[in-house]
Amino acid sequence: MTEEIDKALARKYEAGFVSAIESETFPPGLDEEVIRKISAMKNEPQWMLDWRLKAFAAWQEMETPDWAHLNFPVINYQDISYYSAPKSMADKPKSLDEVDPELLRTYEKLGIPLIEQQMLAGIAVDAVFDSVSVVTTFRDKLEEAGVIFCPISEAVHKYPELVKKYLGSVVPQKDNYFAALNCAVFTDGSFVYIPKGVRCPMELSTYFRINEQNTGQFERTLIVADEGSYVSYLEGCTAPQRDENQLHAAVVELVAMDNAEIKYSTVQNWYPGDEEGRGGIYNFVTKRGICHTNAKISWTQVETGSAITWKYPSCVLKGDNSVGEFYSVALTRGKQQADTGTKMIHLGKNTRSTIISKGISAGRSNNAYRGLVRMNPGADKARNFTQCDSLLIGDQCGAHTFPYVESRNPSAIVEHEATTSKVSDDQLFLCQQRGLDPEKAVSMIVNGFCKEVFKELPMEFAVEAGKLLEISLEGSVG
Amino acid sequence: MTSKQLLTVKGLQAKVDEKDILKGLDLDVKPGEVHAIMGPNGAGKSTFGYVLSGRDGYEITGGEVVLDGKDITEMDIEERARAGLFLAFQYPVEIPGVSNLEFLKAAVDAHREAQGLEPLSSKDFLKEAREASKKVNLPAEFLKRGVNEGFSGGEKKRNEIMQMLLLKPKLCILDESDSGLDIDALQVVAEGVNSMRDGERSFIVVTHYQRLLDYIKPDYVHVLSDGKIVKSGDASLALELEAQGYSWLAEMREADPEEMHREVSE
Amino acid sequence: MSFWLDQALAQAELSNDCLAEHRAKSLEALRATPWPTRKTEAWRYTPLLSLDNSVIDEPNDNIDYPGSPEGVELIELFFVNGKLQSNINVAVEGLTIASLDNLNDEQQAVAKTVCQSAKPSRHLFGMVNDVLAKQGVLISVADGSDIKPIIRLVHLQNGGQSHVRHLIKLGQGAKVSVIEEYRGEQSFVATSFSEFDLGDDAVLNHYRFGLQTGAAKALAGCHFNLANRSQMHSTLVSFGSVLSRLDVDINHAGEHALATQNAIYLLADKELFDLHSNVEHMQPHGTTEENVRGIIGDSAKAVFNGRIHIHRYAQKTLAELNNRNLLLTPKAEINTKPELEIYADDVKCAHGATVAELDNKALYYLRSRGVSEQDARIMLNFGFINELIEQMPAEPLCEWLQGELRTRFGDLRTQLSVEG
Ligand SMILES: Nc1ncnc2c1ncn2[C@@H]1O[C@H](COP(=O)(O)OP(=O)(O)OP(=O)(O)O)[C@@H](O)[C@H]1O
Ligand SMILES: [Mg+2]
Repeated sequence: MTEEIDKALARKYEAGFVSAIESETFPPGLDEEVIRKISAMKNEPQWMLDWRLKAFAAWQEMETPDWAHLNFPVINYQDISYYSAPKSMADKPKSLDEVDPELLRTYEKLGIPLIEQQMLAGIAVDAVFDSVSVVTTFRDKLEEAGVIFCPISEAVHKYPELVKKYLGSVVPQKDNYFAALNCAVFTDGSFVYIPKGVRCPMELSTYFRINEQNTGQFERTLIVADEGSYVSYLEGCTAPQRDENQLHAAVVELVAMDNAEIKYSTVQNWYPGDEEGRGGIYNFVTKRGICHTNAKISWTQVETGSAITWKYPSCVLKGDNSVGEFYSVALTRGKQQADTGTKMIHLGKNTRSTIISKGISAGRSNNAYRGLVRMNPGADKARNFTQCDSLLIGDQCGAHTFPYVESRNPSAIVEHEATTSKVSDDQLFLCQQRGLDPEKAVSMIVNGFCKEVFKELPMEFAVEAGKLLEISLEGSVG
Repeated sequence: MTSKQLLTVKGLQAKVDEKDILKGLDLDVKPGEVHAIMGPNGAGKSTFGYVLSGRDGYEITGGEVVLDGKDITEMDIEERARAGLFLAFQYPVEIPGVSNLEFLKAAVDAHREAQGLEPLSSKDFLKEAREASKKVNLPAEFLKRGVNEGFSGGEKKRNEIMQMLLLKPKLCILDESDSGLDIDALQVVAEGVNSMRDGERSFIVVTHYQRLLDYIKPDYVHVLSDGKIVKSGDASLALELEAQGYSWLAEMREADPEEMHREVSE
Repeated sequence: MSFWLDQALAQAELSNDCLAEHRAKSLEALRATPWPTRKTEAWRYTPLLSLDNSVIDEPNDNIDYPGSPEGVELIELFFVNGKLQSNINVAVEGLTIASLDNLNDEQQAVAKTVCQSAKPSRHLFGMVNDVLAKQGVLISVADGSDIKPIIRLVHLQNGGQSHVRHLIKLGQGAKVSVIEEYRGEQSFVATSFSEFDLGDDAVLNHYRFGLQTGAAKALAGCHFNLANRSQMHSTLVSFGSVLSRLDVDINHAGEHALATQNAIYLLADKELFDLHSNVEHMQPHGTTEENVRGIIGDSAKAVFNGRIHIHRYAQKTLAELNNRNLLLTPKAEINTKPELEIYADDVKCAHGATVAELDNKALYYLRSRGVSEQDARIMLNFGFINELIEQMPAEPLCEWLQGELRTRFGDLRTQLSVEG
């Protein structure tokens, strides 16, 4: 039976093509000069350059974290190119009509048409290609509502006060090794500001694509939801199929002011490498949000890609009555390794957090949940509920759970539960006896296992996530 | 005929989780009387018991409750218990690790202390406890087990009656102590109650079924609906209800202009 | 490096007994091991400063002996300040007990196979104990022997440093019950490690009462090897002190083995207690059930790390770990981390950890019967712990221990009554 499941799991990576786009790419290497050059390319003000250099100095003093349940060779940061942009972007296109058609075709192939007329109504997209943002759609419509949605490189110029105030306010420059590196070399990403009391009229979405060889992608996202506002943000990512590993070290910062709500959803589908573990993206990501009074941040992630995933979207529940949520599906196969989870830091009274994590391990992969729930002395009557479930498919993979629970408040309640199970022969037999083929059966069982998380995704993404899992489980049984 | 009241409930209003449940409930109980309360699911019968016992989260928003001449609405749960109020629960909670015996002794001693009596010696207590358990047909081993831990539904109910026997309250409220019981157990519960009837002790018996009232003859039967006593009568009312059900309540409500007004404005 | 460790090692005399080789190996490993810091995962929440910073009391022989549990047959051995107090004189068929410093050839051979067989080398103070422990006993139970009396090893200390090691071997189908009991509240250092090697079908009932408290610095370990179809039932009861650490390892080295472990910690004042438990399922069809409960009062701190590791070959394993904690005061602290590492798919594993308040419904129930809120809280807290005590296989021990715990609860009385 296991063999059939394995076959069912053999997946093709549909986003693995390379686009023939002429790019301007820095030669590999990292030093202060490179950072000055990145800053110069973006025509940045002095304060931004100083900020980068400070982070770089800190990074050089830091060491790669080694506590995760991950195994990978030492990364040589001098072998990576830190900037790559399509040539056609040299003099910024003013509108969609000026954008290189090959670029538009690339996104279309990925299922993300950037021509507004063809788009799913209700979703505005910022498309980041290698190191730069190529298009942001629906900007006029958003501006009407007072919502700012633009590449962060542009925000540095247009909204320097907002950027200065919030950049690094949630994830400080020295937070961790990869965050520090990102601070030094980040090239682009999205900036969102929702003014007081505004309910963002459409879903915002950024689509990241790595195309060039030997480049790293270091994007930076900053979302500020002012008092009483609401925004739902979606993030997707893909990369071509290549034999060498590529580095992706992103930072996402969320600020939810009093009574604001941010919903952040990710479908991560970076190239995972082949069956033998050749190639694939090393995905080291720092995501964190801060919740002020009565605010809510909800992270939902579906992680199917990357050779290595190191990612802990977190919430600092600073304000009283604030709410943090983390819903995650992580699927690993082949030789993929994932070490992912969340941190819920309860500082305010009556703060609440929910963690639902579903790990699916197949092939020779390793899938770990790592989480921290901390109840600080001020977190009176705070509550946490955590449920971590692992599903093992085959006897060559690993499923691991490392939850840290720290409580210093007698009125706080923390509940953590974890289980492991497998797709049992009984379940498969039942499905087959009712006429389903094993491939469909496995996909159904896995989908059922993930249901609690999928229902948290915005509709379009839920469909995409379901499809992604299905593709992952595709390959058909002979 | 005595005019003395054991329990006086006047215009009692209470809410749970911001939801109004009791909406002006009146009830007078004299010493020695047995009152049966019937009524549809969700009417507020259990809530009435919880409110009388002082359970946290059940907030009195209006009206008064006087037990034996004392206003009890500001009293703690345990003070009310020691003042003679006993509630036999519809769903008794399990408390693993705390032995029934230890718990019962603490409860009995607390009651005695309130009456200015010395705690019972372990020996005397054990004797009383054994007798009580025998009366309700619970093997003595149950005394050693955790409170209600792993007890069957019927055993839990019998354990409640045993506690009532030991604590000798003035007012016993039995919340569906008959549900989930086989015929023999039903008799055990009824005998427990009847053996305690002494002309002074009063009972409020919440039930859905006539059959318990065959054993415990009520002096009055009340129908509680939507947080109020909507009809009262003698024992024959229970038989009537058994035959008719509660559909007539809906008609009554339609005829109630105030109620209609409320629903319209919502 | 630690000043305490330097000094302790300087006093190590590598005498030429049967465990000399083991000692030399550990000494070398120890020298290569960095002293733990906050960044050392195994010591993340437990600082070792008190070892270097506190003045150690002078030990003396003026020591109170605790009472014995009644209603059970006992073989009792007393260690005072790390030294065995009397000659061992046991005449029970199938049972050998011998002092480690006085082993005959045959016993030496057994000691060599048990020593460092169940205890992994990674425990820092385990290595210290390897090097320094000269005292302790070898207990060997012959194949098929069912030893009726319970062996009670009582350790009393009021100062100085002690390093005690017990090696216990159960032959095939052997059955025995062992109590390890540790007491003392003065400023002293004690490393106490025991290893249990269970043969096929052997059954061990194990009790470890770590009742050291106050200024005691207690560093300890219990390690078990389980052969085919063997069973262990272990109860750990621990108070805290300035520094208390217990490392437990359960190794399913054979198939169809069963391990149950109930652990309790009860902390007051500024005490610290750190329990690291590790279960290795290396063979198929093993079962492990662990229940760990703690009550933490005053400004005490508890640390629990419970790892279950299912190796690739260990199919059909059933493993469950449950940790529950009650914090009594705003200054009390708990850090808990249940871990699962699973490499086999056909297994059933679960763990849970909670930090919670007392059950409100239970509190209401007790109060509605006239029990005061304070008494109800004490009763519920005691019940929380007592649930595990009552599972101990020897009933007389239960009653004796309940007495000990009630005293401890008496100390916590005022805190048990304050809400949140
Ligand atoms: N904590 C609560 N929050 C909100 N509503 C509640 C709560 N507790 C009870 N209620 C509601 O109050 C109403 C009365 O409940 P109650 O348990 O008193 O009914 P009852 O008459 O005892 O019903 P039954 O015959 O089913 O036992 C119900 O509608 C119930 O749903
Ligand atoms: Mg009811």
